[in-house]
Amino acid sequence: MIIENAMIVSNVEIAIGIWQMTLLAPEVSSHYKGPGQFINILSADSWEHPVRRPMSIANVNGENINIIYKIFGNVTQQLSQKVPGDSLNILGPLGNVFTGWKTKRTVLLGGGVGLAPILNLYESCPNSTLIIGARTADEHFMEHEPGKNIFLTTDDGSLGVAGNVLTVLENLDFNDQIIIYACGPKPMLKAIQHFAAKNSVKAQLSVESYMGCGLGLCQGCVIERQNEQMKKHSYHEKYTLVCMDGPVYWSNEVCFG
Amino acid sequence: MRFALADLSIQIGHIRFNNPVFVASGTFGYGTENKELVDVSKLGAIVTKSITLNPREGNPPPRLVETPSGMINSIGLANIGVDKYISDMLPVYEGIGTPIIMNIAGSSMDEYISVLEKIESVSSAIVGYEINISCPNVKEGGMQFGIDCSMTESLTSALRKRTEKLLIMKLSPNVTDISSIATSAENGGADAVSAINTVVGMSIDHKTAKSNIYTTFGGLSGPAIKPIGLACVHKVFHSITIPIIGIGGIVNTGDVVEYILAGAKAVQVGTANFRDPGICVKILNNLDLYINKHNITLNNLIGSVKQYD
Ligand SMILES: Cc1cc2nc3c(=O)[nH]c(=O)nc-3n(C[C@H](O)[C@H](O)[C@H](O)COP(=O)(O)OP(=O)(O)OC[C@H]3O[C@@H](n4cnc5c(N)ncnc54)[C@H](O)[C@@H]3O)c2cc1C
Ligand SMILES: Cc1cc2nc3c(=O)[nH]c(=O)nc-3n(C[C@H](O)[C@H](O)[C@H](O)COP(=O)(O)O)c2cc1C
Repeated sequence: MIIENAMIVSNVEIAIGIWQMTLLAPEVSSHYKGPGQFINILSADSWEHPVRRPMSIANVNGENINIIYKIFGNVTQQLSQKVPGDSLNILGPLGNVFTGWKTKRTVLLGGGVGLAPILNLYESCPNSTLIIGARTADEHFMEHEPGKNIFLTTDDGSLGVAGNVLTVLENLDFNDQIIIYACGPKPMLKAIQHFAAKNSVKAQLSVESYMGCGLGLCQGCVIERQNEQMKKHSYHEKYTLVCMDGPVYWSNEVCFG
Repeated sequence: MRFALADLSIQIGHIRFNNPVFVASGTFGYGTENKELVDVSKLGAIVTKSITLNPREGNPPPRLVETPSGMINSIGLANIGVDKYISDMLPVYEGIGTPIIMNIAGSSMDEYISVLEKIESVSSAIVGYEINISCPNVKEGGMQFGIDCSMTESLTSALRKRTEKLLIMKLSPNVTDISSIATSAENGGADAVSAINTVVGMSIDHKTAKSNIYTTFGGLSGPAIKPIGLACVHKVFHSITIPIIGIGGIVNTGDVVEYILAGAKAVQVGTANFRDPGICVKILNNLDLYINKHNITLNNLIGSVKQYD
């Protein structure tokens, strides 16, 4: 991993409160391993926000890295005010990658800000079924195209299927040969974990947790393991470090509490 | 104009360090994780994360939250335990080229002593111990020692009897009178004290009405605590004669100079490493320039803050 002052190539609002930023980052992009990885960004030189903010890589194109972010608080707000030519200090690429998608039929689910890594994976396996959830139509920037196996959902029914990503997943015709890949809020990942166990299908989940460094130094970003199996990077059995061991886990590896 | 490299070396106890900028315990792992991002041989010393007698899983998440100009953590002394530290980490320290100071935490006098004795019984590159009597995040984190003068003194002297390596007592700001604790450490035979550990803090999410940290209370660190650290160092400076290692919110060379002016002989950088693991090397390069530009020595600077007039 590398720390680099990337240059902002573009920064546009693609749906209400959701932005896409393209960064010219020759160093970080050259170390990129695949969908699932993330970068850790510093939005300003000031120490008002000492902690970097993790953002999934939504796409790597040559030396360019795309991220898709939702405005939550100060730092994402500051990000949205950046213009092309500004620089952004990034650390990365961090974390592990989704695996197994080359050989199986895949169903990809993204909810909320969790769609970045899912869209990234979708580019690598365009024959997948893609299900993207949001609260309202405003937060979507894709088309609902069931004929192409692209399903959008909204909580309020203002676009696509009324409900959430599980509503579509539960009504899909599938056999146990599929693998599910998902990223999104904790309740969504929990529901998918439950679905996978009940239907004996495999699922890989990209999880979020509050990170202090992204480098395994602070030991802050842990989540609980399910099987208490040891992983390479963390010395501990009960918890796993999302920044090093994750953010991608098999659904039966972790507990969401 | 070009300057010769300034002499940044300092002496604490019988150990000479190439420079006074160390990385703080718990913010640089076991010391070797960062090799990709930083030339660790440049650091004055590496203080490794707290080691306890038995391995500890640490506290349940969430363990961290950012606060204005700082962060609160409640890691809970997650560590591999002293036996694994000896078998896995000590060999790595051979030839690393940076002095390693091992930080020890415990919940009883016996635990501190056992950990120290285990390390003393093997040969290692460790030059000294920093004794954590100030972890606010676990009930058994040594705080009962760090808030009590007589316990601080008896723990210090018990450890002193068992090692000739550097012995540094790490002080808590969460006490009524930090000077008297520092004096107890000196009386117990410590070579130095380091101050400060994190400040007890709390963070609440008003939208959910929940604490942002599982353990409710955690330790505040980062630039937000620099004024507290400076005040503690300056108070302690007036009450002891052994060196002080200043800690708390250091992010640049100016901060280092301020700590030295307040009375520190060396400093440790903590939270800032999370944002940039190479930050100490940058701080050092600028410290070198500062010393040259002002034509001063570090030793003359220690505690030389002037009163406002
Ligand atoms: C591996 C990973 C990948 C992520 N990918 C994306 C992405 O692709 N797009 C996106 O919009 N968001 C993503 N996030 C979440 C993103 O990091 C937060 O939305 C962002 O930090 C909010 O910062 P803020 O200052 O705007 O909000 P704040 O006011 O600081 O916080 C709002 C919320 O953001 C989260 N957050 C804040 N700081 C951190 C941190 N250091 N680590 C983790 N979470 C934090 C917390 O849940 C917090 O409650 C990802 C998080 C992780 C852990
Ligand atoms: C995530 C984290 C973990 C820490 N772990 C330890 C520890 O294991 N032992 C210890 O003595 N201090 C520990 N500390 C305290 C630091 O060493 C330091 O005293 C404190 O953070 C203040 O310095 P700073 O403001 O530069 O971070 C930890 C601090 C942080 C932020």
